[in-house]
Formats: sequence, C-alpha cells, structure tokens
Amino acid sequence: MSFLIAQSLINGVILGTLYLLMAIGFTLAFGVMRIVNFAHGEFYMIGAFCALIGVTWLGLPYPVTLALTIVFAILMGAVVERLVFRPFRNDELSGMIASLGLAMILQHGALILFGPDPQAFPAMVTGVFKWGALIVPKSRALALGIGIVILLIFYLFLMHTRHGRALRALVQDQEVAAVFGVRLEIMYPLGLGLGIALAAVAGGLMAPLFGVSPFIGATPLLKAFIVVILGGLGSIPGAALAAILLGLIESFTSSFISASAADIVTFALVIGVLLVRPAGLLGRAEA
Amino acid sequence: MSSAVTRTASGPGAMALLWAVALVAVALIPWITGSTFHFHIAIMVCISAMATGGLAVTAWVGQLSLAHAAFAGIGAYTSVLLVTRLDLPVLLGLPAGALVAGGVAFVIGAPLLRLRGVYFVLITFALNELFRLIMLEIPEYSGGSSGIAGIPKLSIFGATLSSYEAVYPFALVCLALVMGLLVLIRKGQLGRRFGAVEENLALAEASGIPTARTQNLAFTIGSAIAGFAGAFLAHYVGFISPETFGFQLSVSYVIMLVTGGRLALWGPLVGALFLTPLPEFLRGAVEYQHIIYGVILIAVLRFLPQGLAGLPAQLSRKEGRA
Repeated sequence: MSFLIAQSLINGVILGTLYLLMAIGFTLAFGVMRIVNFAHGEFYMIGAFCALIGVTWLGLPYPVTLALTIVFAILMGAVVERLVFRPFRNDELSGMIASLGLAMILQHGALILFGPDPQAFPAMVTGVFKWGALIVPKSRALALGIGIVILLIFYLFLMHTRHGRALRALVQDQEVAAVFGVRLEIMYPLGLGLGIALAAVAGGLMAPLFGVSPFIGATPLLKAFIVVILGGLGSIPGAALAAILLGLIESFTSSFISASAADIVTFALVIGVLLVRPAGLLGRAEA
Repeated sequence: MSSAVTRTASGPGAMALLWAVALVAVALIPWITGSTFHFHIAIMVCISAMATGGLAVTAWVGQLSLAHAAFAGIGAYTSVLLVTRLDLPVLLGLPAGALVAGGVAFVIGAPLLRLRGVYFVLITFALNELFRLIMLEIPEYSGGSSGIAGIPKLSIFGATLSSYEAVYPFALVCLALVMGLLVLIRKGQLGRRFGAVEENLALAEASGIPTARTQNLAFTIGSAIAGFAGAFLAHYVGFISPETFGFQLSVSYVIMLVTGGRLALWGPLVGALFLTPLPEFLRGAVEYQHIIYGVILIAVLRFLPQGLAGLPAQLSRKEGRA
C-alpha cells in the first residue's frame, strides 16, 4: 500500500508540473490582458507540431527544436494579440468569444495541413529509473526535468527583470502600471506571447509521450482551466498550488478509485470552489 | 444598445412588413424547390434557432452560458427515456424535456448566477463537461459512448411524422411558438426588467428589481427552451449520445447568437438562418467550414458588435451621419 502511495505521489508531481506549464501561460494572459483564452490548448497542439517538424522533418536536436518552438510561439502570440485580441481590450466577454473563434481557426487549420491521424513522435530517451518498487520512465523524467528548468527560468524572468516586473505590475493594476511608464503596446503582446510560448513548449515536451494530432489541445486546455479556476484567475502562485494539487488528486483518485472518477471529482471540486470562493484559492476578489 | 434594436424591430410598419414577407419567403423555399435536402436544412435551422433563442433569453440578463448544450441534452434524454421506457407520446415528451431542463436550471441557477461575466462562462463550461462525464458514467440510461439509436420519430396524436416534408411544418409551428414567447417576454414588463438587469445590475437592484430572481428566471426559461429544442433534435435525428451535447454544440449556439446579435430579439433566428445553411454553400471547401465560422465570429465581434440583426440599424445610422 505504501508503495502505491509513493508511486501515486511521484505520478502526481509529474502531472502537476505539466499542468502548471499550461496553466501559468493561461493565467498570465488573463492577469495581464483580462483574456480568457479558449485557444490556449491549440497553442499546445501547435507546439507539439513544431517539435515534430523540427525533430523528424528538419532533423534538429530536441533542445534546439524546443528553443525554436518558444521563439516561434512568442512571435505568434504577438501576431494574434494584434489581429484578434487588441480590439477587445476592455471587453472581457467579447475577447473570450473571439478566442473561441481563434481556437476553431487554429485547430482546423492544423487539420488541413497535417490531417486528422495521430502521428508518432520518436522517443527521445528510453528505459526507466528504478528505486525499489518505484518506477519512473526516463521519458517522463526528461519532460519533468526540462519543464522544471523552464519554469525556473520563467520565474527568474518574472521576478528579476525589468519586463518581468512590468508584467507583474500590470497584473496588479493596469492604470497605475501605465502611469508608472509600463508600455502597454509592448507588454500586451509580450505577456500573451510568453503565455502562448509556455503552452507550446508544454506541447513540445509532451509530444514524445502522447503523440501529435490536431485534436490534442482539448485536454490540456481543460486542465489549465481547472487549475486556473482553483488557483484564481490571474494568480500565478495560486496556479502553482492548484496545479500540484490537481496532479495529486488525479493520480491518487485514478490509482485508488478509477480514472473517470478522477475527472468527476475534479469537476465537482472546481464547481465547489467557484461557488464558495469565486476568486479561487489564492486569487484576489474582483474589484 | 437595446434601444437601437427595439427601434428596428418596432420601427416603421412598412419595414416590419418587409421583413415579415422576406421571412415567409425564406420559410417557403423548401416547398418551392421540393428538395428533401432543403427540407432537412430548413428543419435544422428551426431547431438551431429555437435552441439559440433559449440562449438569447439568458444573454438578455447579461449572462453567457456555455452549458446550453447540456440543457438541450437533459431535455433530449428526458424525452427519449419517457417515450421509450414509459411509452409516453412524443408530443408529451417534448414539453417534459423542457420542464426537466428548466427545473434543473432553476435549482442550480440560484448559486451559479452569483458569478458574473467570464466567471459564469467558466462555471457553465465546467458544468457542460460534468454533464457529459456523468452521462458517460450511467450507460444504463444514457447508452454510454455508443449512445441511444432508433429513437421513435416525432408524432402528433398517433400520426408519425415520417418524412421531412411532414416534420417541417411542425418544426415551423414550434419555432413560431418559441419566437412568440420571446416576443412576449421582450415586449412585456419582464423584458424591461431583463434589460435593466443587463444594462446596470446595481442600478436595477437599487430600483427595486429583484435582480437575482430575475436572472434565475431568465436562465430557467432559456434552459427550458434548450431542453425543448434538444428533445426535438433527438426525435428528429433518431440518435443521441453524451458526446452529442458536448462543448462543441454549446460553442456553436454561442456563435449563432453572437453572429445574429447578442441582444437583438431576432438575433437567434438571423444567426441560425445564416450559419446553419452556410456549410452547404461551402460544399467545395468543406474543410474550410470551421475556419470560416471562426473568421466570421471574430469579424462580427469586431465590426458588427450588435450582430447581423443590428446591421440595418448600423447602416442607417451611418447614412444619417453622412
């Protein structure tokens, strides 16, 4: 029994880290631009396809591919901000509806380009780590490791650079931040671009584990939603807490009850939290 | 926003007459061409317009529901189970579907509607997923992922509507009833209350309007209409599964509503009329269909915030200025 608990704990942390990559970008876009981005999962999908193209078509090394994916995603974020979201800056609801349209465009665009069939991604590493009865596949450990490194870099950027401070200021108060010289014209595209880049790199990291198809964005989007609602829209520490919590809940419920029970439990939890604390576990109440 | 809309709807009598004539002409198209395919499209327009009409009622109090497909699903399953297990006539199954969907909305509406704006959208999104997951968990009622096939066709007083030509007039009558209900609500005292709540919640509350109850009433009516449309869809198509009433269906209702006009009385009808047949005109480019939907949605939000139904008003105002 204690072995099952330890294994569930490890699996839960791995899941939680991946959910965090998805959720931070999502919550950043909301915190900075007040956009609930239903297209966030499609950028995960695009990141996975970028990785596939880089590794199998162009024969680039995996780390280079991931770096290029990040650059591409930031640029894409800037373009999308300009073309789709900019007119709806002061209208949360319209911005969100627009993101539904964007999601359709991206998903079906990928469908036309790559076809509906799932494509295999070559394994980056093989084998497993073993500690007694505990087993962690090396492919998962690699995704986890790179994920943590990226999250750390992002954390340092957010806490210790000028642009990072500007982003945090925007999350706290747009007007005051603007008065203090935060340039919205640069920070909005940057905030969205970084958020999208985190989703894309999550896609690139997951591609070797789960394969690639135009429809893979739905589940990560759902997880990001759940994490962000639990943690509070716009709250990054909240997202961190909720992501790990969600990973653990899922892993424990599916080990001890069943996988479908895990989904129902998390959704019930989400609805409960929204009703009791609409602003989330660590979120601020709406002004 | 809503004042511009009422101006078009109740505006000069000649204009209203023109619209009525155009609407009747459009409704007659299947009989003129005599094509069963056109009958099918026309029936689907009626069903979509009814469901979107329900979504509009909730939108009139300023809330956007992404759980609309789930309520259509509740109505569909209620009617199908009553008809197949208890041998009730379909004609009773349809209102029963509406009743149960409305009842569920009434019960969960009170706590849900404390959330506003994007938070309400998020919780209804989660609810729609929860509905799908729970239905998949109870396959003895829902048919599980393989769904329920061979659902009894629509019938009136024992006469089965087996052909498209027979279903269409019934669909038109149902649509007329739903639109009639919408007109009654909109033009009556309730409509003004809805408008007040949508425009300024705090002011409405201060003026003595019970805002929470008003919003819940709108949500209940809207979801009941969704239940009715869902039940109609189930008996018309003959197959339902939990996946039928997923996120995608909710999104397509939102797209129709926004394209038609979020706050316009005739918005749902215009949206359904424009978007349901659209794929047929895109025959040569089927794979681009959803991309075009996405582009239309974003373009309408950007350039026609009042939707297609607000287009005449928007145009005449521009002319007036020039």
